[in-house]
Amino acid sequence: MIARLPPWGPDQITDEGRDGVPRRRPLPRLPGIRRRRLLLALGLGALGVTGAVGMTGTGGTKAPVGSPGTPAPALRGPTLAGEPFDLAELRGRVVLVNVFASWCGPCRDELPMLADAQRRWSERVLRVVGLAVRDSSVAVRDLLDQTGAQDLTVLPDPTGTTAVDWGARGVPETFLVDGHGRIADRVIGPVSAEWLDRRLTPLLDP
Amino acid sequence: MIRVRVPKTTALGVGLTGVGLAILLLGAVLGIWRSASPTGDGDPAHRLAAELRCPACQGESVADSRSPIAAAMREAISTRLGRGESPDEVRTYLVQRYGVEVLTMPPARRWGLLLWAVPVLALGAGLLPVLRAGYRSRRAARSASPGRPAGRDDRAGVRGGAAGDVAGQGRRAGSRRHRVFAPPSGSRVWNVGAVAVLALVGAVALATPGPQTPPGPATSPDPVPAQLALARSMEQQGQYEAAAEVYRTVLVERPADDVRLRLAFILIRLGQATEAARLAGEVLAHTPDAPDGLLILGLAQRESDPPAATATLRRFLTRAPDHPAAAEVRRLVDSG
Repeated sequence: MIARLPPWGPDQITDEGRDGVPRRRPLPRLPGIRRRRLLLALGLGALGVTGAVGMTGTGGTKAPVGSPGTPAPALRGPTLAGEPFDLAELRGRVVLVNVFASWCGPCRDELPMLADAQRRWSERVLRVVGLAVRDSSVAVRDLLDQTGAQDLTVLPDPTGTTAVDWGARGVPETFLVDGHGRIADRVIGPVSAEWLDRRLTPLLDP
Repeated sequence: MIRVRVPKTTALGVGLTGVGLAILLLGAVLGIWRSASPTGDGDPAHRLAAELRCPACQGESVADSRSPIAAAMREAISTRLGRGESPDEVRTYLVQRYGVEVLTMPPARRWGLLLWAVPVLALGAGLLPVLRAGYRSRRAARSASPGRPAGRDDRAGVRGGAAGDVAGQGRRAGSRRHRVFAPPSGSRVWNVGAVAVLALVGAVALATPGPQTPPGPATSPDPVPAQLALARSMEQQGQYEAAAEVYRTVLVERPADDVRLRLAFILIRLGQATEAARLAGEVLAHTPDAPDGLLILGLAQRESDPPAATATLRRFLTRAPDHPAAAEVRRLVDSG
């Protein structure tokens, strides 16, 4: 007899023996320990299944704005020179968006390199765009003069909200936008000549 | 504290100690009042900025940091709130850019609360022996000179200094109880208090979840798997509230059914069955017979609506007779 009892049997049988009548309540309150064990077992089962689903389904998730593979956020407005600019009109061209400020030393150091890159490739295939974060136009013009980067397209961002739109974490920071308007790469901190060469050459000199 | 053990204390010394203690106490009260009073006088932009982590600096909130990117984030917050966006929408906007790390973590706050008890306990542990010694000295003075009126006695106790009187009276009266017991008892209380405070600090330090390794810098393509892993490890540590918070954040970025179900399951554990049922309902609205959705809904209904719970769990059993939880559910339903 005992050997044939189901694993949960003893409790159940003593319960029924005491009651005598089959219980009508659809879901009786179980004693604390049994309820907890039951909930635990149910939870483990559910977790296992949903975990498996979660692991297989993470492919189509949403990456944060500004990270490689995502569409570049909007970037438009008058340039420092007073010309209208819209990143969306530059489809088909590679764009380097450099978040910088005149009060930032590393930005000053990397600007000549970015100006060189703009000179090396024509504006028809590459545009280097500076986003001057929380800076005055005078200070930015001085910086461009001092670093020989007068030719760069510069958009003033006096409040810094455009930089936040792009998810920038500080200055300098550089986003590489490909011809389809997607972010191809992103560098937090100064870029190196090696990075520029490695990322730009395959895109521009196929 | 040393004063308690030194046998001879002048009235001036005690007076100075009292003044010093009063100044310290006043300072503590002022400090607590200043840090506890609401900052930014109810400005919603400031309140939101205060609960966000500056992504460019360590351990500072967006409200406090002087870094330009924090200033830009404050600007973005005020602009968006001014445009009529809700704080939640602004939070989502920033999480989409800076990841969930931008939100200050609830678990640190929960354990951090315990640390607030440390100064209180330390103060208590320090004051207790002083008060006891003072009480003893007054009692000793009173019992040694029964003829003197009580009012003068009290003044003498205060003026004469606590420990000095205790030791003096004890020695003079030869009272074993006072000489042997009173001063060491003060230091014993102090020792026990000090050990207890140290133990509490140690326990909090050990129990506080260390700085969560951020899921990589912004170059990492997708923060969601890292967040899910974080939430799962919190679950394993039993930090269900914190895990639920992370799942809620993930849900903002990625409103997927599996995340909903995991959040719902934790909510059942936390006793928030209503919200769990709502989440399961959302899942079932997309996929009417999703077994996990039925299972969670059934469990969530158990408290509020037992007959509906049975019906839901029966539906679960017909849809997924081979589910890992099916045997237990069958037992649960059949026992009714």
